[in-house]
Amino acid sequence: MNNTRRFDSPRELKTALGECQYIASDEIATIMYLSQELGKPLLTEGPAGVGKTELAKSIANATGRELIRLQCYEGLDETKALYEWEYAKQLLYTQLLRDKLQETLSGADSLAAAADRLANEEDVFFSMRFLLQRPLLKAILSEQPTVLLIDEIDRADAEFEAFLLEVLSDFQVSVPELGTLAAVHRPLVVLTSNNTRELSEALKRRCLYLFIDYPSIEQEMAVVRLKVPDLSPKLARQAVELVHSLRSMDLRKSPSISETLDWAKALVTLNARNLDLPTMETTLSILLKHETDLRRARLWLQHPSSGGHQENDDPYRSPRRRN
Amino acid sequence: MEERIVKFIAALRSAGVRISLAESTDAFQAVDILGIKDKDLFRLSLLTTLVKDAEEIPTFEELFPIFFSTGEAPNMLNPSEDLSPEEAQMIAQALRELNDQLRKLLEKLLNGEMLSQEELNRLAKMVGLSQTDNLRYREWMVQRMKRALHFKEVQEALKQLANTLAQLGMDKERADQLVQLMQANQQALEDQMRQYAGQRIAENMSERQREDSMDSLLNRPFTTLSDRDMERLRKEVQRLAAAMRTRIALRQKHAKTGQLDAKATIRANLKHGNVPIEIKHRERTLKPKLVVICDVSNSMRACSELMLSLLYHLQDQISKTHAFAFIDHLEFITPDFTGKQANEAVAQVLERMPAGYYNTDLGNSLAGFQKDYLGTIDGRTIFIVVGDGRNNFNNPRMDIFNQITRRSRRTIWLNPEASALWGSGDSDMLKYAVNCDVILQANTLAQLISAVDKLLLA
Repeated sequence: MNNTRRFDSPRELKTALGECQYIASDEIATIMYLSQELGKPLLTEGPAGVGKTELAKSIANATGRELIRLQCYEGLDETKALYEWEYAKQLLYTQLLRDKLQETLSGADSLAAAADRLANEEDVFFSMRFLLQRPLLKAILSEQPTVLLIDEIDRADAEFEAFLLEVLSDFQVSVPELGTLAAVHRPLVVLTSNNTRELSEALKRRCLYLFIDYPSIEQEMAVVRLKVPDLSPKLARQAVELVHSLRSMDLRKSPSISETLDWAKALVTLNARNLDLPTMETTLSILLKHETDLRRARLWLQHPSSGGHQENDDPYRSPRRRN
Repeated sequence: MEERIVKFIAALRSAGVRISLAESTDAFQAVDILGIKDKDLFRLSLLTTLVKDAEEIPTFEELFPIFFSTGEAPNMLNPSEDLSPEEAQMIAQALRELNDQLRKLLEKLLNGEMLSQEELNRLAKMVGLSQTDNLRYREWMVQRMKRALHFKEVQEALKQLANTLAQLGMDKERADQLVQLMQANQQALEDQMRQYAGQRIAENMSERQREDSMDSLLNRPFTTLSDRDMERLRKEVQRLAAAMRTRIALRQKHAKTGQLDAKATIRANLKHGNVPIEIKHRERTLKPKLVVICDVSNSMRACSELMLSLLYHLQDQISKTHAFAFIDHLEFITPDFTGKQANEAVAQVLERMPAGYYNTDLGNSLAGFQKDYLGTIDGRTIFIVVGDGRNNFNNPRMDIFNQITRRSRRTIWLNPEASALWGSGDSDMLKYAVNCDVILQANTLAQLISAVDKLLLA
């Protein structure tokens, strides 16, 4: 490895992530380290907004690798993920090179000879020059080691998942016109999933698995203090505690860490001194994005004792599935 | 250590976690890298390589300490050491008043003796621990072992002991302290038994023979399935549904009407200077709308549950599903399925239906359907009935059934019974059959799957 960093222990990786403003738990650091050592892709799952994507960004930052991101969506296919021939450019080149082509073909006495000559020049038009590299190919061909982030894999179709298997296990791609292109450096691969659908066994088998849940109050405090240093510690604690009690309510969408951070920033901007009812009422919409949730939360804020508060002892609360 | 890990993996498998050979190799590699000294790192390396589903993490967490705890027995205190001779005398006297069995146990507690391996084995035999291979029964086994050791009586005897000792002239505080120590020892014994039970069960789990292959289970009639089999089938349904989804999605991708979509083609080819290089075809949405009515009476429950869970795993291939369950009347159960597994949802529905003696009554249920939900059926809807058509001689309400079949695109009946049995006894199946487009026999999961496959083809 030239100028990119490799870690010798989970602890070292954790500190490095910390320097990149990502507070990793021991679990995250250890599993990330294993992924580096075993050269296996890391599949992270968990509720939205707990920092899965951020983890990939930070690891890229910490290792000094370039981050290549592939955002998945329904209908994503190979031409968008892997490569595509740039037809327009090919057409343009043939137009502009018409004279040259005529020159090449002028000496030929039969049609067959002309076709042969043209075939000799074929490589010009099917070369890397006309190959539009999409994220996966880019990650494979990159001269420098990279971090490949495949975001929200659960949104892609099952067929795409199957196609990904080949790339992830061998890190090579065959382009019929060019032959097989193998990876120069094995990229660090991070896949994220919000668990909206069950991923295939085959994909899971090839990955290491990391489940990231909402952080504890202490961890979230640390994140808020790091990212929004202007917020007073007392206010930060109050805010985080409130967010935690909101999460234990049965809401349609629980506030994520990123929303906590947005809220913390809003509190700083508004120069809030303490978390009184009017301040909360006006800023609550930063945390909650559903009308019904907002209404329930307001009710609960006014009468904290009245229901809506569900204790959840199970630390591995299964992420809610949309059926 | 390696052997221990292999056993652990076997136990995880038998608890229902799917672990492939490749994954267990990964686990060993990970352990090689991080070592086994740091228990937390060790746990994480196994966790990340073996468990790939958040719902399986609790199983892992439950089994891990049983296999890899340091094996230290809970601490026993020995109150008898610092007894003065007089005190020992007094206790001996107090114990003499109890029967033999209790006295022996109390002496054990007094001396801080653990249960020996032999005693534990004897207890295990008594409560049938060697046949248990499910951690769910761990607490129950502990309870039975406690009963075998007369824990309740011991507890009472201990309470009395304090009084007796006081009567015999021992210092009240001292007596209480002694009894407390003995109670602590009793607790330690219980912990020891719990540990032992966990280990035995875990070992049974890892030694359990591979069960019937999935294939034979797939082809076994629903009525002969045990609870265990059902549990395995539930898991299998998920997998099969995933496979089916891919197939259906592909089919829908290929099934284009072939009509040229001029607008989309022009748009796609703008970049080629309107030379039509990419041709776009118009797609037809083939996703069906379903109305499913399921019999959830005892005889039909397994079939209905698996059917519903199949359908709900295939939600993204279906534009809308209205699910209903009935025994003697109809219940709209779609809301029960949001964010739940099918078996939980079905259990919840059954809870809502008041307990008592039931008569399956499809006629009455159809009347309920006509009254409240007829609007869910239109020309695009496939109407599906899962039931055996046995109506307990109630009115089959053919009029309503005819009306529904006329309104819907297709009517499909899934019946676990073979056609030879239709019309026998209280079966109204022959009457209903006239109006159905297709009747499929679904007596095994394999049949059910092929039935659903056909149904989505339509």
